[in-house]
Amino acid sequence: MKSYLVAIPVCLGLALVAAPAARAGSANVMADSCAGCHGTGGQSLGAMPAFNTKSADELKKMLRDYRSGAREATIMDRITKGYSEAQLDAIVDYYKK
Amino acid sequence: MMKLSRRTFTGLVGFAGAASAFGLSACATGPKVVVVGGGFGGATAAKYVKRYLPGANVVLIDAAKTHFTCPFSNTVIGGMNSMAFIERSFDALANKYGITVVTDMVTAIDPVTKVVKTKGGISFGYDKLVVSPGVDLKWGALEGYDEAAAELMPHAWKAGPQTALLRKQLEAMPNGGTVMISAPGNPFRCPPGPYERASLIAYYLKTQKPKSKLIILDAKDAFAKDKLFKEGWEKMYDNIIEWVPAAKNGKVVKVDAKAGVLETDFDKFKPAVANVIPPQSAGAIALSTGLADKSGFCPVDPNTFESTLHKDIFVIGDACTAGEMPKSGYSASSQAKVAAGAIAAMVMGDKPAAMSAINTCYSLLAPDYGISVSGVYSVQDGKIANIKGAGGVSPSGANYQFRKKEADFAGGWYASICQDTWG
Repeated sequence: MKSYLVAIPVCLGLALVAAPAARAGSANVMADSCAGCHGTGGQSLGAMPAFNTKSADELKKMLRDYRSGAREATIMDRITKGYSEAQLDAIVDYYKK
Repeated sequence: MMKLSRRTFTGLVGFAGAASAFGLSACATGPKVVVVGGGFGGATAAKYVKRYLPGANVVLIDAAKTHFTCPFSNTVIGGMNSMAFIERSFDALANKYGITVVTDMVTAIDPVTKVVKTKGGISFGYDKLVVSPGVDLKWGALEGYDEAAAELMPHAWKAGPQTALLRKQLEAMPNGGTVMISAPGNPFRCPPGPYERASLIAYYLKTQKPKSKLIILDAKDAFAKDKLFKEGWEKMYDNIIEWVPAAKNGKVVKVDAKAGVLETDFDKFKPAVANVIPPQSAGAIALSTGLADKSGFCPVDPNTFESTLHKDIFVIGDACTAGEMPKSGYSASSQAKVAAGAIAAMVMGDKPAAMSAINTCYSLLAPDYGISVSGVYSVQDGKIANIKGAGGVSPSGANYQFRKKEADFAGGWYASICQDTWG
């Protein structure tokens, strides 16, 4: 049986070139679930709005307005109701960090 | 035969300069995370483990070179898109994220020695293992429906050659033929899927073969988004689609594929095209590893998706039992991030964060008519449940502009989730 471990000796400390390991805080997983519709890092490819077209303050207001019903939506009204205002703000901060 | 991706090849020849330019970090010192299955769950898990733990040595193993997505496969069956539209490559996972992509079939997992073995004869040791094999069809659970029968009466419930076969049969069918879809009982992959499929086939019939009919024989009396589907059918396909619930003798109990016959308790039908969606279980590797319970699916810790039966193995996607989350590509992707976050936290010696996940499923009833269901999930009383007041389905009675917008968003969703998963 061949062993996959043959690939290991070529490693020359390359982990050092990688970014420092990000801690998986709650905001990461909670916020990253938005990427299913809006793309990794909020860089939407299609009809879903990308996050880079608005400022953090604008996005926070939009999400709060979807949640309260002040802003009309097809689906974001249903989704934002699953979060507190503080959580929505934290999601925006994660994408805008 | 096992094949290694270019990424792995670069590593094997030891060209460190090139390797570092790609951000390779496959080091003996980093945690070893192996992912079985390259669909929405597995591919997302591999990518997000790398995002959360850049030093991890991540290996993704899939039996196929590319993945055909079930989402949007109904548009191929309806003739709106080609097979190439739903085919996804693993290249970006290898080249952009430094994931070692292996084309091989996993034949055994030893949860004690923590080793994954493949048909190609390779063993992969792991610290954490993600199992995301999707579903397998329970051959024989519906009398007469086995692998040979599926070549005559396609299920098309795992996208790929079966999708193309069903499309080919619909194209060959004469105007005036009857198409039948046999829909299974719960639980199964993609609860609104059979009804989206019925809609898009009906769209094809209406525009290309208007004398034809479509009958859904159902093992259930209710289905996902049923009110919205029925509203759309009444508007667009009133003379084409007929839905027969279990209470009206809709459940198919036997199939004779050679004779082209579907049987319910009291009737026999001989449609021009039969699409049989049979009962399902977690993928075979999950069953043979002892990750499933008597339901045929895999129980998991709702906070982390770690198997409750085997430590250090995380089961995500259609194969697991995830409380109120439906078996969908979006659920699998969202669960993958929860599992990746938990793995990262465990490796770093932290406590995994609170579980938080989303599901959004769009269904197309026509190219310009979309509907959706969504949910936002957390762990409540030890189970994954939708957060009260959140989620739900599109409104009934919405106007054309609303349905058109949701159809556009369906396409946008597909583009984004494919990028988030494989890009």
